[in-house]
Amino acid sequence: MSESKLERFKYGLLKAVDVSGFKVLDPLIRLIFREEPRKQSINILKFMITPIVFVLCCFWVWNVVAPRHKTNSGEVPKPAQVWDAAITNQILHTRENEKEEDFEISGQARLARIENLKGRLESATERSKQLKADLEDIQTQATLEQQKQLAPLTAKAEALKTANNEAQQSRASAAKTMSAQVASGKAQVDELLTLLRESNSLKESEKDAEQNLKDELKLLSEKPSVVQQAQVASNAAANEVQHLKKRLDYLTTGNRSVKVEKAVVTTTAALKKLDVAKTSAQILSAAKSVVSGEEKANRISEQSYPRRETIWFQVQRSLFTVFIGFIMAACVAIPVGIMCGLNKIVMACLTPIISIFKPVSPVVWLLIFQIVVGAFFLPDPNSYWLFEFCDALPFIKDLGVNPALIFSACTVAMCAVWPALVNTALGVSSIDQDHLNVARVLKLGLWARLFKIVIPSALPLVFAGLRISLGVGWMVLIAAEALSSSSGLGKYVWDEYQNGASQSFANIIFACFLVGIIGFFLDRLMILLQRSVSFDDGTAVV
Amino acid sequence: MSNPATEYSLQIDHANVGFGPPNARTEVLSDINLSVTRNEFVAIIGFSGSGKSTLMNLLAGLQPADTGEVRMNGEVVNEPGPSRGILFQNYSLLPWLSVFGNIELAVKQVFPEMDSSARKAHIQHYIDMVSLKGAEWKRPGELSGGMRQRLSLARTLSMRPEVLLLDEPLSALDALTRANLQDEIIRIWEEDRRTVVMITNDVDEAVLMADRIVALTPGPKATLGQSFDVKLDRPRDRTTLNFNDSFKRLRNEVTEYLTAINKEAQRLRVVDDVALPDLAPKELSTF
Repeated sequence: MSESKLERFKYGLLKAVDVSGFKVLDPLIRLIFREEPRKQSINILKFMITPIVFVLCCFWVWNVVAPRHKTNSGEVPKPAQVWDAAITNQILHTRENEKEEDFEISGQARLARIENLKGRLESATERSKQLKADLEDIQTQATLEQQKQLAPLTAKAEALKTANNEAQQSRASAAKTMSAQVASGKAQVDELLTLLRESNSLKESEKDAEQNLKDELKLLSEKPSVVQQAQVASNAAANEVQHLKKRLDYLTTGNRSVKVEKAVVTTTAALKKLDVAKTSAQILSAAKSVVSGEEKANRISEQSYPRRETIWFQVQRSLFTVFIGFIMAACVAIPVGIMCGLNKIVMACLTPIISIFKPVSPVVWLLIFQIVVGAFFLPDPNSYWLFEFCDALPFIKDLGVNPALIFSACTVAMCAVWPALVNTALGVSSIDQDHLNVARVLKLGLWARLFKIVIPSALPLVFAGLRISLGVGWMVLIAAEALSSSSGLGKYVWDEYQNGASQSFANIIFACFLVGIIGFFLDRLMILLQRSVSFDDGTAVV
Repeated sequence: MSNPATEYSLQIDHANVGFGPPNARTEVLSDINLSVTRNEFVAIIGFSGSGKSTLMNLLAGLQPADTGEVRMNGEVVNEPGPSRGILFQNYSLLPWLSVFGNIELAVKQVFPEMDSSARKAHIQHYIDMVSLKGAEWKRPGELSGGMRQRLSLARTLSMRPEVLLLDEPLSALDALTRANLQDEIIRIWEEDRRTVVMITNDVDEAVLMADRIVALTPGPKATLGQSFDVKLDRPRDRTTLNFNDSFKRLRNEVTEYLTAINKEAQRLRVVDDVALPDLAPKELSTF
């Protein structure tokens, strides 16, 4: 009984990996269930271990090659630096979360948290101080060592310089004497020329020797990696201290409940004043301050923490934008594609439009949409009904829907519409004649024929088209966001490029991986959908 | 039944069918005349490529006749409809629907007035009839060839057609499944008699199943040839039939006739091959 259950579980698992496009895991699952271990091991070696080794090799090549290429933005980051960038981004995100919580917390919990944080701040400060001292120690020691190493070299360089200078001077005086001899006819002009040529070439080689020594000195005088590591550790500790101080700030004076309370206190004070006020001027001013105090309290209580845009926010916003664009594309592509597939005249009418607009670059579409769609949002985009509507929705209001997002989504839709449209048309037009004969024998009406025969039969190709569309859309989105500066991964990359901080380059490469991985999962999601509608035993192309 | 036109369930009257543009026209069927009486089982036998499927499409109304006409119960047929249930050679099942769903689609369309419980019973009746019980929720892709044709048969029968048109229904199946399904079709037909026109290329199958066999001459310009009445008692048993003299005689007669008309056709076929130049390869060894 349990045997067959296990078997069923195994086949369920195998089917799941197949349907989701992770067929690579197939031999691993079979091995775990002890099915032909030898064969599975060979398959694992061939199709799992080998690719993993290959990818590791690629990382190794990257690691070796990257530091050798100097660029304007510093060294090309190594994998480890990109990993650090990823972690830094994650830390920024969690810190924002913590600060947000601190801003919103109130009552007893707030006080408890303050106590807790104070303790942590103390130890963090202690640690930071310690690390700073360590850094100084290491630095002085390193400097000493460096000087020890450098001293002979510096002396050597000095000596070389003076020797060269002397040699030059002696050559110059020799040339002078020679020229005097030429003037008095004791020597030939040719001899003088030869002497000058030799002197110049000697000067070149002397300069080269000096430069070589200088380079060597420069290399030695660079910060040793020990110092660099110590500096990174010290900086991290200092950052932590900063962060904790900021958190304490948000828990005390910057806290929402504290601010509200303050406003309430002023209001009550004003109310008391109003009670005892006698003259009309006094009454008016007290009443005014009551009203303004109330308003202030209300305003503050509705305030939310002004979050910095962390990487996960950018990811969310990008996904939202691509989703909107993709839905727009699908809503146009599927009906139009069905019409194209059903009617050859419609197809003939749309073919020129599809052929001409399909190859147009997303950048061009973005600019066109900024002008054309932008005109709808005039005069004040912020008060346009769409954005006010979006600001009233839960979740979506946090994403900050703005015209730039709409432009990006439109660009995505414009570029993603074509594959879905063409594939839908193909799916509908290539419907099996037998199925149409069935419809004729049954005398199905137009709608029944469409929904019972045509669309189900075209569905696998429709989803294949949608899958390509989503891939194109995600690719286009990053460019569109960068150009329209709509918050998202594209803008993140662009900002990092403009920013030029020490970690910017690593951040860009991190974003590159992130875009790729998200794109991969979106594709898998579409495969899953495609497989679920295909009726020919999942033989759809992967 | 006094009107001679309505005596026949299905009639083809001087029908011609051709394809292609006027200047390069291929006449597939020419001067087809056939009258099928009510509840008769007619087998039309012919060679492959002789236009059998075109004839079937003509009967079904899927293919209009260029000249002449097809009549059912005296009325001209010019479009397909559920009263002439056709069983396609390649099943024509909808792969995204289950066994039940495929039949349901037909039943819903043909009997829109049926309420859901009656419809369910109706569908189940036909599923049981073709012995597909237990496979109701499987999709065609999960069925064997024989089961698919059973399903196709159930779908066609569920429409309660007056006339059943079988377009080489068993030619894609292996011999054992084929024999099985032949028996099944005969059983179903004997339980609930109706007019049947079956197209086949198998003489044994025709003799076993039909009341009358009509030969289709090889195309192009195929037409209906001699007709043979099968006067064997029903139910016919395939195991004893092989020793039945009249069965053997009829089978030989039909086979001989078909061979003869095929030879005749080959003799008459115009040879319009391109004349090849009379060339022999050079002897390379002499160089």
